[in-house]
Amino acid sequence: MAKMINRALLKYHISKLTTLNHQLSFLEAYLEIILNAKQTKKDKTLMEMKKRHSEILEPLMMKAGIHSDNVETKKQDLIDQINKKYHWHFKALSQSKKRAMKKQASSDKINHFADKEAKMHQKQEEALQSLALRYTKDENNIAMHQSNYEINKTKLEQKYLTKQTKLDQKFALDTIKIKKNYSDRIERIKKAIEDERPLLKKYAKGLESATEIPQDVILRLENLNMRFGGLLAVDNLSFDVKKGEIFGLIGPNGAGKTTIFNCITRFYRPTSGLMLFRKNPVEVIHLNDYPVHNIIKQGIVRTFQNVELIWELSILDNLLVAAHTTYRSGFFGQLLHMPKLKREEEVMRSKALGILETMGLLQYQYMIPYGLPYGILKKVELARTLMANPKLIILDEPAAGLNDLETENLAHIIKKIRDDYQATIFLVEHDMGLVMDICDTVCAISFGKMLAIGTPTEIQNNPLVRSAYLGEES
Amino acid sequence: MSILTVYLKAFLKSIQKLSKHPYFGFIVFGVVLLIVQLMNLSGLVTPTLMKTLILVMIYSIISLGFALLLGYAGLASLGTAGFVGLGTYFIGHFSGTLGYPFIVTLVISLIGAIVLGVIVGFISLRIEGLYLGIITLGLSEIMKEVFKSFSAFTNGVNGLSFRNFALFGQPVSDLTVNLLIIFVFIIMILATLNIIKSPTGRALLAMKNSDSAAQSMGISLLKYRLLAFVLATIYAVIAGILYMANQKFSIPTTWSLDFSLNILAAVIVGGAQSITGIILGTFMIFGLNLAILQNIPFFQNNPDAVWIINGLLIILVIMFYPGGLIRLFQAIKYSIISRYKKIKHAWRVYRYGEDD
Repeated sequence: MAKMINRALLKYHISKLTTLNHQLSFLEAYLEIILNAKQTKKDKTLMEMKKRHSEILEPLMMKAGIHSDNVETKKQDLIDQINKKYHWHFKALSQSKKRAMKKQASSDKINHFADKEAKMHQKQEEALQSLALRYTKDENNIAMHQSNYEINKTKLEQKYLTKQTKLDQKFALDTIKIKKNYSDRIERIKKAIEDERPLLKKYAKGLESATEIPQDVILRLENLNMRFGGLLAVDNLSFDVKKGEIFGLIGPNGAGKTTIFNCITRFYRPTSGLMLFRKNPVEVIHLNDYPVHNIIKQGIVRTFQNVELIWELSILDNLLVAAHTTYRSGFFGQLLHMPKLKREEEVMRSKALGILETMGLLQYQYMIPYGLPYGILKKVELARTLMANPKLIILDEPAAGLNDLETENLAHIIKKIRDDYQATIFLVEHDMGLVMDICDTVCAISFGKMLAIGTPTEIQNNPLVRSAYLGEES
Repeated sequence: MSILTVYLKAFLKSIQKLSKHPYFGFIVFGVVLLIVQLMNLSGLVTPTLMKTLILVMIYSIISLGFALLLGYAGLASLGTAGFVGLGTYFIGHFSGTLGYPFIVTLVISLIGAIVLGVIVGFISLRIEGLYLGIITLGLSEIMKEVFKSFSAFTNGVNGLSFRNFALFGQPVSDLTVNLLIIFVFIIMILATLNIIKSPTGRALLAMKNSDSAAQSMGISLLKYRLLAFVLATIYAVIAGILYMANQKFSIPTTWSLDFSLNILAAVIVGGAQSITGIILGTFMIFGLNLAILQNIPFFQNNPDAVWIINGLLIILVIMFYPGGLIRLFQAIKYSIISRYKKIKHAWRVYRYGEDD
């Protein structure tokens, strides 16, 4: 009885702790976003000011005879501009001359064109000369120009500095104000988390030994059976998936691999058997108790064998769909677009963009998945799983339909996900190269029955596995 | 003078900034409708056109709810007419016959809408696609028969009239009703926009595209199918209330299959995923006849010929623009842009000669 009460209390405190952690990470992420936005705004203003000032200073610099590469390139640019402009003018002139010739206009008119051309040449020369005058050293009054330049430079620098200090001050004030707004809440949450921890330890003390599976196991299947009418798709299967490993499930076509996945993610209800999942260090849940849409909340996310994306939404929105369970605003908050929802959207968006960037998918963010290459879609599905902070990622044939290069890239990404997100990865794959390359443990099944489980080399040398794949050994 | 131009420029700039907000277009639309309504007072707009616009607005509200159901949740329903009829009878009975205050009637209607939506939503969990359409059609026909025979509530086949519409205890003039309709119409558009652009809208679209993906992403089919139906029913009931406030009369034969089919046609013709498209489609199906075709002698002599136009419109749109009329407008826009580019190029060649 006491144990039961303890367990209930523990459950309550764990859920409280998760909510608090979620709030904390949300607030911190949002704070960062606001401060970043302010910083970029400030930088932009200063940059624009600097550009304006340099435009004023450059001609003065030339006059004073101070050499600068910047100004040289600028001068060349201006000369090119003038030349280009007159190039088009001459072209237009020659074209109208051609038209006049075709119409057999009088010689006066054709002479008139020649006059015009000469005038235009003169104009071009003048423009170039005036430009050169602006950008050449004035030998006669060099002292005056130099002092002029110095005065202007110091004046503008002063102006820039005052502006910079003003903006910096404003930024610092804003930062303090915003941080003050949030730090109270953050401190409160942190304190609440600190308060929760000893309670958790207290309640977990008696229960640690009582949990059904060892600490390092994240998923355990016990005597799993799945029967479709007369067909026994999964036959009395039991195995453990350890925390933080890449676990591969292999087997010939029709061995029941996808059925096992569907059982774990509750798309199918197993005929009999237990599926235990370690939600957190002190809590183990029976997956059979949860409906299919609640599995993601427990920390299990899956991908599909044939890509199942939302075809009418952009890639970025596809990722946001996966974050659906992490939104805290209710329906009316969404109906009225409350500030809370806007904040949440911003945080989720930046998270999704971060994930897309690490996957190298940033250029596809506004595209609709329809018509994108298969390899990209597979990657998007993988990126989608990361939005929900998963503990166990289930990949159903991630390398199907990918070429060798993409498969190599995928292996790299899977390993990276395992390391960066501290997630366990459980995959089904036909590409033996990939499986043997990345998996820590491999389990081979055939017709729903376990053949062997072990490290990749053990599996490779197992006679049972060989016979299942290559036929009876002679 | 220069100060004035500076202020003008700043004003234009702020307008430009505002115009990027997704609400902007619709609020401007509402203001234009308001102006048209006020022009009606001075006799610049014909009463027929004004009546048509008000009716189209009411029907647009129904279409918006239906589009959430069809275009976003991917659920086909042919029971719209029954729900709208129910809305008219709710206000006609409770506010008209029994004389309850409007707020009480509104609350009763919303609760009724939610209950009905939940019932249909539960049906939709078991049955999908065409069969759901047939079931909802049956439901609508049952409701029509109930309207016919349940005289205490609906006044039977003679129809229920409603003349004492009052807000806060004050009787309301026709003009105020029209203004109220414009206001509710714009509010409903903005609410729809908010729903579409929120996690709920994405969840509905996810459900439409792939059940299994939606479920594995934590979207409960039960919750969102119920939500979609409840929303559609609430929209329909609100439209029913406005219809009764404007038309002052409701008769069971109005709420039959052809009304539901017309709403379906409006959403399909306009484009099920664009709010502008939905309003356009509703105008095409309901407003075109009253506002434009009735002025042509041929259609005055043969009133049923209007149906031919509607049918033709549906066939043409589905054949050439399956995404709705809104796609046609987009196509026109793109063709104008490409024409402009071509003309510009031709002028360039004339002026400067061929490129080297």
